[in-house]
Amino acid sequence: MSLALGLVIIPLLAALLMLLWPRLARGLQLAAALLCTILATMLLQLVQQEGSQQLFIGGWNPLLAIRWQADSVTALLLLLSAVLHLLVSGYALAVQQRDKLAAAFWPLSSLLLASLQALWLSRDLFNLYVCLELLGMVAVALVTLSGDKAMRPALHYLLFSLFASLCYLLGVALLYGAYGALDLPLLQGQLQANSLTAAALVLITLGLMLKAAWWPLHLWLPAAHAAAPAPVSALLSALVVKGPLFILVLVWTTLAPAAFLNVAAYAFLVCALGALLLAGVAALRTPYSKTLVAYSTVAQLGYAMLALALMLSFNLPVFTAALWLFVMAHALAKAACFLSIGEMQQTLGVKKVAQLKGASQTMPLAMFAFAVAGGSLIGLPPSGGFLAKWVMLLGLWQAQQYFLLLVLLVATLVSAAYIFRVVVLAFDRAEPTAPDFSPQLLPQWLALLPALAVWAMAFFSMPLLAILQQELS
Amino acid sequence: MTALLPYLPILIILSSLLPGLIIFSLKETQIKLRTWLNMLGVTVKLIFVWLMWRAVKAGQEVTFSLPFLPGADLVLHGDALSLLFVILSSILWLATTIYAIGYLEGSPLRSRFFGYFSLCVSATVGLALSGNLVTFLLFYELLTLATFPLVVHRGTAQSLAAAKRYLGYTLGGGVLLMFGVALLHMLTQSPDFTPGGYLLPLVASDRALLQLAFVLLIAGLGVKAALLPLHGWLPQAMVAPAPVSALLHAVAVVKAGAFGIIRVVYDVFGVQSIQQLNVATPLMLLAALTILYGSWRALAQQDIKKRLAYSTISQVSYVTLGVAMLGPLAAVGALVHLVHQGVMKITLFFCAGNYAETLGIHDIRELNGVGKRMPLTSLAFTVGALGMIGIPPTAGFISKWYLGLGAAEVDQGWLIGVFVLSGLLNAAYFLPVVYRIWFTQQRLPWPHPQQLSKKLETHWMLLSPPLFTMLLVLLMGLFASTDISPLSWSELIVEREFSYD
Repeated sequence: MSLALGLVIIPLLAALLMLLWPRLARGLQLAAALLCTILATMLLQLVQQEGSQQLFIGGWNPLLAIRWQADSVTALLLLLSAVLHLLVSGYALAVQQRDKLAAAFWPLSSLLLASLQALWLSRDLFNLYVCLELLGMVAVALVTLSGDKAMRPALHYLLFSLFASLCYLLGVALLYGAYGALDLPLLQGQLQANSLTAAALVLITLGLMLKAAWWPLHLWLPAAHAAAPAPVSALLSALVVKGPLFILVLVWTTLAPAAFLNVAAYAFLVCALGALLLAGVAALRTPYSKTLVAYSTVAQLGYAMLALALMLSFNLPVFTAALWLFVMAHALAKAACFLSIGEMQQTLGVKKVAQLKGASQTMPLAMFAFAVAGGSLIGLPPSGGFLAKWVMLLGLWQAQQYFLLLVLLVATLVSAAYIFRVVVLAFDRAEPTAPDFSPQLLPQWLALLPALAVWAMAFFSMPLLAILQQELS
Repeated sequence: MTALLPYLPILIILSSLLPGLIIFSLKETQIKLRTWLNMLGVTVKLIFVWLMWRAVKAGQEVTFSLPFLPGADLVLHGDALSLLFVILSSILWLATTIYAIGYLEGSPLRSRFFGYFSLCVSATVGLALSGNLVTFLLFYELLTLATFPLVVHRGTAQSLAAAKRYLGYTLGGGVLLMFGVALLHMLTQSPDFTPGGYLLPLVASDRALLQLAFVLLIAGLGVKAALLPLHGWLPQAMVAPAPVSALLHAVAVVKAGAFGIIRVVYDVFGVQSIQQLNVATPLMLLAALTILYGSWRALAQQDIKKRLAYSTISQVSYVTLGVAMLGPLAAVGALVHLVHQGVMKITLFFCAGNYAETLGIHDIRELNGVGKRMPLTSLAFTVGALGMIGIPPTAGFISKWYLGLGAAEVDQGWLIGVFVLSGLLNAAYFLPVVYRIWFTQQRLPWPHPQQLSKKLETHWMLLSPPLFTMLLVLLMGLFASTDISPLSWSELIVEREFSYD
């Protein structure tokens, strides 16, 4: 379990050292990111061999101490965030001079990693609150790095985030008052189906839905993610919104009394339909390229919601697998999308989708990265998005949910429409937008890397499913 | 040689995939290297295909598999049926590559074009070699992705619109196919394609679901095969450069749909299940309707490539119709038409491209007297057109003869009426063109003449491919009874794979 501690402490320490010696920031960032990736890999191996690991911080007994747990899903998420952090750090290093990336990026992004890793590990309602709050603050601070134009979206984000945290905290306080425990495994099965529990769960869910930008509470997300610098958008869309999602899944699969599950499933289902269809249409209509990608995040989160709703209403392990596969595939693909779009925006000096005209001639590599990542968002084989969708499809056929199959079909076509809205434009040969300076190759390759990784994911479906299945048994 | 055998399927795919990937990284000016890579890929592929052909002919099975999804490995399998399609696409790829090099000489972005061109052929042979439905689905989608940049290649407003429509149709079809494959996977996993199908045990218990799966699969495949309500993308995709049209119509896309229908009917469902599920008749009606509709619409087209496109819609449905008849003779007709139609249609597209490139002719009315100016191209066009109508001794006659016999065999006499009517329509839209070419005088000057060669009527790289395929059309017709003809190979497939013979 010292591995797990290391995963949180190393980035935290790195952030502190960066504040002390700003000159060493870049070196520290890379070293910490590399170290975290290695540790996360080792932890995953450990969990696979010896089953899930537990740690009680401070060595107290479970009632007092904070419980951290590294099960297989957590280990996968730890590895995912470490790898993406490493990649985005590499990208930031490659473009920092050109894009005039603020020095605050380095300590903040390390803090982001630390709070996120702690969130994946924590199994204590209050500790989760702390991680969530920290994560939100750091995320807001990162959005403001874009300068004045990002202030308004950042402020909105901050307000929504604070309100959401308060909701969550209130819910947790209610639960603590009634049951006297914050530890998730201790609370498991204890909650009674009364109005107090209901109120607490509604508050917690509302807060988390706001933070995770679940439709229809997503209003802050497109502006904030679009305003942030490209590496920050990549981190926010790929990882940060998955944090509250993770807690939601924990709360609803371990805490909630069985009597509430059906209602919750319906509510989540409605949100999922709204996200998949309406946010998809919003992505189709927005004139700005980064907003398009941001709306696509809201839409893609709909798959996770759908999987959660189905998890709650059917006792089929496929949906759990589908949920985490969606999370992983989306994280990789979205990082690639934001990095490639950001790269094109910077080089071509444009913001609108229509101005990406001819990008496949001027910046073929970045455009290719976007298209490849988009293929996974659509769910084309053989990509991670396909794998997730395939697993979900099998479950839906098994559960005979014909209406949802139809929804999935339409949602797939909508996502194809907004991805290819950009890609088709890139092949326009008449008056392509000329680059402001000659395109740099390294950042484009770094944008392509996660896109290739998400396609490679499909070929590791057996081990991935085995790891996720380990969780279920 | 035997050590190589299990790897042949993957080698056949890699022989075009790797050159394609290298070509992407080449500079525009490295023309020689690019041409060499292209030709090397074609040659190596043909050698591998020849090796595989020998093995399969001798009765060996060639299988290569990788773990992929649970219950569905990535299986590449060389059997007689897959080889039919592999040989067709490899040989036509040779012709199309030479043609494309000549056609695009001096135009920009050729590295991108030839890169995707190679990917497209890799996806096609992968699709042909697929050993189960999941593998087939994978290559089916990859084919969509690889052909899209070719359709949009010219980058004009018109080609962007065509590409959008193409994507809309094919991605939609791909999703339907994916849903159908997932449904079948849920019911029985995805076993390898088996002669006679593998769904018979389920017919009694899951009748409705199997019918639904059949509809989903056929709808998904029907988009690429341009079955009636799903054909809208094909005529519009004509704005692409001529080699791409040739590829779409004869080598890759349309053929992939038709091939998929053959696989689904014979090797997934099997004739017995199809009969018990009562799904063949609707498919047959739809195919017959498409045949007549395509021919009828072709009559009204004045643009040469558009007329050819509608003709494709009609001709490819012969394959579907032959499959839907569920009789062995009709099966022979369908399989052999898959090859014959490909070779004939590619000849016609090469010729249309030559007229456009050399003289700037796009409209049928401008063809008056072109036979004097471009006799060899016109000869090839004439042979292709006569083949399409089904006049002996061309290859088209053979396939229509077997389709007619097949219709009689399964007591569907009215289908012979459909064949006759469609044949008349074919004659009505091809013979006037041939007449214009040879027997009328040139009235107006050529729209946009170019001097592409000093001695020949056009560039040799544009001229040799249609002559080569024209020769194939004649040889396949004249020597249909020899044992290297597509006809005898089709009979071999029917004998080997279909339990009812």
